[in-house]
Amino acid sequence: MPKPLAPKEAAQFRTVIRSYEDKQYKRGLKTADLILKKSPKHGDTMAMKALILNGQGKTDEAFALAKEALTVDMKSHICWHVYGLLYRANKNFEEAIKAYKFALKLEPESPQIQRDLAILQVQMRDYQGYVQSRTAMLQAQPQLRQSWTALAIAHHLSGSLSEAENVLTTYEGTLKSTPSRHDLEHSEAVMYKNSLMAEQGDYQRALDHLNGSAKHNLDRLAVMEARAEYLAKLGRKEEAAKACRALLDRNSEHPAYYEKLAAVLELSEADSRARKAIYDDKAHTTRLSERQAITSAPVPTKANFAAGDEFKQAAEEYLTLMLSKGVPSTFANLKHLYSDTFKKNTLKELAEKYLQSQSSDSSSKDKGEAAALYYLAQHHNYHLSRDLTEAMDFVDKAIGKDPKSVDFNMTKAWILKHVGNLQKASEMMDHARKLDLKDRYINSKAAKYQLRNNENEKALKTVGLFTRADTVGGPLADLLDMQCIWYLTEDGEAYAREGNIGMALKRFHAVGNIFDVWQEDQFDFHSFSLRKGQIRAYIDMMRWEDHVRDHPFYSRAALDAIGIYLKIADKPSANGVNGGDEENTEDALAKKKAAKKVKKEQQRLEREAADKQAKQDPNKASQSTDAKKKDDDPLGLKLAATTDPLGEAMKFLGPLLEACPKSSEAQIAGFEVYMQRRKYVLALGCLNAALALDSDSPKVHEQVVAFRSMLNSASDLAPKVAEVLEAEFKAVSES
Amino acid sequence: TGDVDDELPAAKSAEDRKAASALASLDANNDDAAAARDVDQEAVNKAMKSHGGAGAAAASKTNASAAKAAPTKNVKVDAADVALVVDQLELTRAKATELLKAHDGDAVKAMRGFISA
Amino acid sequence: MDIRLLTSADLPLIQHANLENLPENYFLKYYLSHALSWPQLSFVAVDASRPRRSEYEYPKIVGYVLAKMEEEPADGVPHGHITSLSVMRTHRRLGIAEKLMRQSQLAMVETFQAKYVSLHVRVSNVAARHLYEDTLRFQNEKTEAKYYADGEDAFCMRLDLGAIRSQVDDDGAAEDE
Repeated sequence: MPKPLAPKEAAQFRTVIRSYEDKQYKRGLKTADLILKKSPKHGDTMAMKALILNGQGKTDEAFALAKEALTVDMKSHICWHVYGLLYRANKNFEEAIKAYKFALKLEPESPQIQRDLAILQVQMRDYQGYVQSRTAMLQAQPQLRQSWTALAIAHHLSGSLSEAENVLTTYEGTLKSTPSRHDLEHSEAVMYKNSLMAEQGDYQRALDHLNGSAKHNLDRLAVMEARAEYLAKLGRKEEAAKACRALLDRNSEHPAYYEKLAAVLELSEADSRARKAIYDDKAHTTRLSERQAITSAPVPTKANFAAGDEFKQAAEEYLTLMLSKGVPSTFANLKHLYSDTFKKNTLKELAEKYLQSQSSDSSSKDKGEAAALYYLAQHHNYHLSRDLTEAMDFVDKAIGKDPKSVDFNMTKAWILKHVGNLQKASEMMDHARKLDLKDRYINSKAAKYQLRNNENEKALKTVGLFTRADTVGGPLADLLDMQCIWYLTEDGEAYAREGNIGMALKRFHAVGNIFDVWQEDQFDFHSFSLRKGQIRAYIDMMRWEDHVRDHPFYSRAALDAIGIYLKIADKPSANGVNGGDEENTEDALAKKKAAKKVKKEQQRLEREAADKQAKQDPNKASQSTDAKKKDDDPLGLKLAATTDPLGEAMKFLGPLLEACPKSSEAQIAGFEVYMQRRKYVLALGCLNAALALDSDSPKVHEQVVAFRSMLNSASDLAPKVAEVLEAEFKAVSES
Repeated sequence: TGDVDDELPAAKSAEDRKAASALASLDANNDDAAAARDVDQEAVNKAMKSHGGAGAAAASKTNASAAKAAPTKNVKVDAADVALVVDQLELTRAKATELLKAHDGDAVKAMRGFISA
Repeated sequence: MDIRLLTSADLPLIQHANLENLPENYFLKYYLSHALSWPQLSFVAVDASRPRRSEYEYPKIVGYVLAKMEEEPADGVPHGHITSLSVMRTHRRLGIAEKLMRQSQLAMVETFQAKYVSLHVRVSNVAARHLYEDTLRFQNEKTEAKYYADGEDAFCMRLDLGAIRSQVDDDGAAEDE
């Protein structure tokens, strides 16, 4: 047991803690060193110093010192707590939990340690542990509503719905009086409890509770939606229909309400007349304002249910109205009808008829004839009604009416892309961009088309017109800061096509990192949401974060990266910079070109860095962000030079397979990686999954053949592995 | 002060300041600042007592159900099989052992079960 | 078109729409903080025409309104604020922005007793000003110099929500009868 500090040092120790909390790291370090001069073996001070060092980014030093602190004072909860905090900061969450638990054993009454442990447990989805922690925290502060709500959440997340509800009920029993009508925290707690009842399938009780405790709830929409839902579930059709109509009065643009109304009225899919009547009924009764009732008449939705002449009439009315007004998004608002061949053809005929009726009066640039030409250009560009020659003809005529129309020129670029002329498409989109320099949408499209045409530098200049001028590191740094995934992915794919795999990998890793950040983002909300009291929204976030990486934003970049790593593993010289023997001269040429480009890019970056240095104001201290943003591998050369490409591929494949087990693309990629790594059981697992998902895929059949030939030739398989493979693979071949 | 380099760069526009301050307030730790509501202390004490009992029961219940879910009957597991499963399926030792136990210590069944799950 | 309440799972595509359309962008966490502080106030417009092509496809967001309550109103009056509103160029002039705004305003009154709603708009953004001034009847309160990072001024606008309040109260009274 170390000697306690003298009063002066004890005061200094408190200063250290405060300095750390205020992020006054330099002051904190100075003060800690003063204490350590007097008492060099004071574990708590060493620990605090380690924490500050970590705050400054000196992770290794921090860990070394924290370990030393523990060796001099194993019994200090501060040392253990800090150890946990360091692990937490460096994302080793399992070790952090262990350290916190140690600290808590030494100091069971510390609310701070208990809180840190609880938050980490829920972040790691250790719900059993979280229930325990929240029970302890409730015991420490039973007078706070938050303590009870938190325990209810813990039970809810761990799957004990009735237990969660009980906790909320118990708390309600302690209230002296009913909280005021405008008490938001109470209002939300009531709705949370109501949602727990419904989640247990107890709709009658949930409905009674809704009509009682939630009668004046502040979340009107939630109450109305719940009422419609419960009544429908309970088979109380008339009341359910009334509840649906009330929802439609509020928002006539939510198709799910119509669906539910049709369901409770027991209208069959085929009964289109009756279904359409629902819309006719709604279209003119929207109450929010008279004006809105006119503009929001959901004709395109209504047209879903009309057929034959009735459809034709409704569509003609709508089309005439919109084209005469010159609304450029008319097609976007009708294309959902195109899956029906009759409607698709009818719309085309109607647009052509309208066009003919307009040609006599064709002075307007965007209304009437021009709008009809534009509609038909989009019609013929759409994948369900594609005729690119016609599309080009119409769009050129539209441009003839108004050469300065951004929309017309943008669509022409789109048609050119479909034709396959990426060069011309890129030029045309850039032309459209120049017609409206204030619009970021067209700017983004122009940059995207440049990237599709492998013009990375040009694209960066284009997007740079809208990124923040003052971001250190230029437009790309701003795009990274703002988590601009579309750009990073397109940029990476362009680099990959050019053979610059270093830059390509760099971009795909950047996308992977953004998802890590998104997962991290939850941390603060575990306590924040309790303070705000918006519990249902918090649960919604938790559910989403559970599968955050199933987003196509992730799978696309992950599959791209895995593809590159597989190529590197296949051909160790394929990384474009090392050269090496080539079987194929075309390949060699491409690589040489890519290598040259990389070199040029490197020189450019160095030049820019030098320029920046020269321009820097010597009177201004350099900002810490400079240091943070300093990238020791700006061209991804280190990434491309990896000696363990398959290990790197696993960093993407693991999360991908976990998040998207039902993606055949993910399973196909998994098979390739596992085969190369000779993990045949796992490879077979992917193969079987891919077959179940997409048995017609030629790629999967190639893989079946590859697997069979591996099985026939492999002689060094462990007998038990061979048995597994034979058994499970046979099951596939027989089916 | 000498601590400039510790601080975040100042937000440059009003729009940025808004976002920055909103984010900074997220991790503000003021749990305790929340005032205790209009609760009946006696009722709280009573609730805690009944709840403490219920909580403990629930905890033991979940433990019991967890035990039921993973039948850890005394299955003998061969160390060589654990090593094989760890290598083939890239699981931790603990997970591999658990998987083997769930398949009566049979490595072939365990691996087959794992990939057909 | 489908107009509905925003959920956490919508946020990546909301951020994407914001990045495509507007110069003011935010980290995902800032969007999350809206979704978790004022979950009743933000709405999205979803392109309902697209059939889901895969298990993992997310609804395509073509417009959104991201709204909040002013946390410490200088005037002491509870009021809402529009953080960001945008509609994809391909879906403009369909009245989407207006519908999103109306849903948000109604919830501001019902849930948070907002008296008015405020917003900032670029002085040069003619289309947005037209929407706010002419369609939604916002009033220009004052000009805030150099509000945006690039030095452009903003108009501070506001709309009184009294009319919505009385309608909500009337409905409530009718329901109680």
